[in-house]
This record gives sequence, C-alpha cells and structure tokens, in this order.
Amino acid sequence: MKNTFIAKNPSVLWFMLGLSLFTVIVSICSEAAGTALISTSFLKTLGKTLCLCLVAVAMDVAWGYCGILSLGHFAFFGIGGYAIGMWLMYDRTKNIVVSSLESNILPATPEEITDAIGSQIFGVVGSSDFPLIWAFSHSLTLQLLAVVLVPGLLALVFGWFAFRSRVAGVYLSILTQAMTLALSLYLFQNDTGLRGNNGLSGLQNIPGLEAVSQATLSLWFFWASALALAAGYLLFAWMTSGKFGSVIRAIRDNEARVRFLGYHVESYKLFIFTVTAMVAGVAGALYYPQAGIINPAEIAPIASIYLAVWVAIGGRGRLYGAVIGAAVVSLMSSWFTGGSAPDINLGVYVVKWTDWWLVLLGLTFVAVTLFFPKGIGGLFDLLPRKGERT
Amino acid sequence: MSTLLEVSGISVSFDGFKAINNLSIKIAEPELRAIIGPNGAGKTTFMDIVTGKTRPDEGYVIWGEKSVSLLGMSESQIAQAGIGRKFQKPTVFEAQTVRENITMALKNPRRPLDLLFNKAAADTEDRVRAISDDIGLTDALDQVSGALSHGQKQWLEIGMLLAQDPRLLLVDEPAAGMSAVEREQTTDILVRAAQTRAVVVVEHDMDFIQRLNCKVTVLHQGAVLAEGSLDHVTKNQDVIDVYLGR
Repeated sequence: MKNTFIAKNPSVLWFMLGLSLFTVIVSICSEAAGTALISTSFLKTLGKTLCLCLVAVAMDVAWGYCGILSLGHFAFFGIGGYAIGMWLMYDRTKNIVVSSLESNILPATPEEITDAIGSQIFGVVGSSDFPLIWAFSHSLTLQLLAVVLVPGLLALVFGWFAFRSRVAGVYLSILTQAMTLALSLYLFQNDTGLRGNNGLSGLQNIPGLEAVSQATLSLWFFWASALALAAGYLLFAWMTSGKFGSVIRAIRDNEARVRFLGYHVESYKLFIFTVTAMVAGVAGALYYPQAGIINPAEIAPIASIYLAVWVAIGGRGRLYGAVIGAAVVSLMSSWFTGGSAPDINLGVYVVKWTDWWLVLLGLTFVAVTLFFPKGIGGLFDLLPRKGERT
Repeated sequence: MSTLLEVSGISVSFDGFKAINNLSIKIAEPELRAIIGPNGAGKTTFMDIVTGKTRPDEGYVIWGEKSVSLLGMSESQIAQAGIGRKFQKPTVFEAQTVRENITMALKNPRRPLDLLFNKAAADTEDRVRAISDDIGLTDALDQVSGALSHGQKQWLEIGMLLAQDPRLLLVDEPAAGMSAVEREQTTDILVRAAQTRAVVVVEHDMDFIQRLNCKVTVLHQGAVLAEGSLDHVTKNQDVIDVYLGR
C-alpha cells in the first residue's frame, strides 16, 4: 500500500471526497430534487465555478509546475465554448426552422432549410451564408472533437514556434497575451463567421432536450462539470507526481540545467502547454452552455489575467490551491459585482462594491504575491501531519 | 587510450572580444585532465562550446569512435550522447529531494511520453543507492536538497553526473568553497570516476590539481599555453609569467 498513487498523494483523496460531498449536497438542495434550497441560477453559477476550477487547475500545471506563465489559457477555454456553441446554435435553429416550415403546403427542400437556418443565425451580422468554419456544425461528434482538437492544435503550433525559439518567462507571457488579444479582436469582426460581438447565444437550450426543464438540465451540467473537474484533477495529479512531475518542476526552477541532463526541455513545455490547452477547451465547452452566451469579450486578455490571479491567490504549484483560488475569487467576484454586497457608508463617501471590487482584488493580489507567495493553499502546510518525517 | 573528444582550431568572440582563439585539445578515454588558467582564459567558454551552449565561430568539435561533430547538436542531444557537465555554482534542484535529483539524472529514456507511461526500471532503487553511496549521501536521500550543505550539494551534482553515466565529465571548479576534508573526498570521487571514463576538471586551486595527479592543460587568452604534467607546466617560463608569477 505504501507505494500506491493515493498513498503518495493523500491530497487527491481528500479533494475527491470534498468534491463528492459538495456535489451530493448541492444536488439535494437543487430545485430538480424538489427541495429548492438553491435556485437554478445559483446552481448554474456553481456549475460554472467548477468549470473555472478546471481551467485553473490546467493553468496551475502550466504555470505553477512548469513555469509557463501563459496568458492565453482563457482563449483556449473560449475556443472550447465556441466549438460546442456552434453545434448548439445550429441544431436548435434547425429544429425551429423545420417545425415552422412544416405548415407549408410544399415540403421544404434541404436548400431552403439551410438558407433559413443561415439567415436565422447570421441575419444579425447581415449575412445568410454559412462560413467555412461552420462546415461541421451539424455534427455533435465533430464539434465535440473540435472542443479538444482546435485548442490543442492552436497550442501545439503556437507553442512549437515559441518554445523552439526559446521564448520564455515574461516574453512568453507577452506573446501569449498578444495571441489572445489578436483572437479576441478577430472574433469581434462581423465577417469572421462567428457573429462578431453578438457571439453565440441561446446555448442553455439543448437541442433534443426541449422537454427537460432548465432546473434538471442545470443539475446535469453541474454533474458533468464536477465529473470533468474530478477527471482533470486526477489526470494532472498523475502527471505531476512521479518522474515526469519531477522533470517539469525542474524545468520551472532551472531549465538550462535540465537541458544538460539530456532532457529536451522544449518537448516537455510543448506537451504541457498543449495538454492544458485541451483541458481548458473542455472546461469552456461545459461552461458556456451553463452561461447561455459566449461573445469575444470572454476571450479578452483580461480573462486570462484573472486566471493567473486566481491561481496565484489560491497557491501556485499545488492543484487544490488552484481550485480554491478559482472558486473563492470567482464566487466573491460575482457576489461583490452582483450588487448583493452591502455598500459601506463612510459618511463622506459611499463605497460601492461594484466599483471597488477590482481595487480590492488588485490589492489582494499584490499582498498575496508579496507576503504569502504560497497563497491560500499554503495554509494547509500549517496543518500537523501524521507520521511526518523529521 | 583512444581519443574521445577532439576540439580543433575553435575560435569564438563575444562583441569583438576573443574568448577562445584557435584552441585545440584532445581528450582520451579513460583520462583525467585538469585545465587551469587565469580568469578570462576561456575555461568556461570551452565547456560551453563542448556542451552546445555556445556555437564557435570556426573550428571543429569531434566526438567518439564515429567522429560525429557536436556542432549543430542541441544541449540535450549532446548530453544524451554522453557528455555530462557540472557547473561552477552547484545547481541542484533545491525544491526536490536528493532521491528525485538522482533519479532524474539516471540514464533512462528521456522523452515526455517515456516518463509518463514507462514503468520505472526495476533496478532504479539499486542504481540510486549505488550513486548515493559513492557520494556519501545515502542517509540524506529523502531530504530536500536545498537543505544540504554547500559541499554536499557539490557532491550531489557530481552524483547526478555519474548517474547520467556519461563517457566524458566536464567538471567546473568542483572544490570551490569546500573544506579540506571535503576536498579530499571530492578528489577520490573524481579519480575513481576517471578510471572508466574521461574526466576534465577546471580548477584554480593548485593543491587540488596536485592531488589529482594528472595531465594538465594551461589556457591563456583562449589558447593552450602549455600541456603536460603539473611539474612540467609549472617549470614552463610562459606559464610562470602569466599565471604563476606571484
């Protein structure tokens, strides 16, 4: 038993127990279970938070373990969302169009149906033709593959050029941020085929499941998100333990030395960058159906910077730290900016949290970086351990 | 004794400064060789060139029986070909244990997927033990290496070199900052290693070189000034002028 995976990584067991418990409690309190202690909209928030935790874990592996401070992982997250969103929008519009054309005396030809779908989806940007990138939108399987493959391929090509040229550290961060900005600006244009700044909407309606209530659907997506987080956590816990984990941490600390040990550092970085991008894509594909809408603003560089802030506050270099950081900060963020936080009346000035939350977050980030580099996760080091080696 | 490494006619300059100037050195296998020279003589640059960190402007670096050129190979390829390097400042991975440091260096397949999916070789533990016995760190195997003393870090780094099982070891100032006892042990480790492979030691300390009791190459301004036994080179008038003239 001494050498089993769980015995070597006790935190994985604790994390899985905690996540299961959380999932069970939330399920019991949901509207779908009848108790309705948690509203469906808050259930969606919790489900989305789990997806954010998953992308934070991926970010932590790239940054906290391998030292790649990527400011592009939220772009991969967004690409995953767009990929699933294309199928959701296409298939749902198709169902609507087909049922509305059923009353016609002459049955509609396939061309008429396609045209009608096209003008429904792209009318908002003054077009009705299907752009090339929608070629696979009719197929759920292909779009699901795209959720993983498009972010993976983009990361692979981008990373290959960047790592091969030995771009590292802050220069890599700037480069990934430029990639994110370019992608977001590109998507903002109307003629890119993804509806410009309108983005894709109505994603909360799942084609074929019209009869299922949003309360039940939300619970399903919550479960799927919890399952994805558990699977992603296990995958990365396995990758970062053992010799592979040892090598990527060594790359983070001194990559030149690792080269002289005979390891091809660039391959390792590329591998980590690509795998974490793919997981980010999966997280995005689960997030946006719960959010209901995706638009290019989601991909803006600031989102990827938030991701780094979550990981830093939660604690770099430990997977549960990333989960804690993403959950705590994103939930607090929606509490403070959602208007539910009470304003503080100072007499001369009223602190409105909707305005001041970002300042508070910024100060917290600076304070954590300066005084608690281990983040919230570092608090666990203070716990006494059973059978600790002296 | 066959030639393992042949460096011939290499030159390299940084912003007009000639760090290496038409330098030629041959290393045999097995052999223990000391390289000495004043600061800026090009000792570290020589190592940088052999390990692929720096490209020379001209010249050849030829390796092994098949006489392959090391120029154009990446650092990791050169390391896999059998050249290990120890840096001046001990650079072990301080956040990781001694065992993890040695295991990482052990000669094994080194591609990402190998590390993820290959079962650890059955003899890993034995090999780690053998290395740690050699460098006297068996009791510290599970310690974080950042907690080791300066001398122990130096040994750990030499141990990591041995774990790579290289044919050529390039060792930069192994005795820097060591106590007299530690120096003696370091000499033993190096002399033992040189029985089966080529070991090149760059060192400032004459007493340390004396104890190594090997052929010495004196570098000056990026070129070989003299070569031979320590007694021979210390009697050389050029050497006395530029290096020992105190």
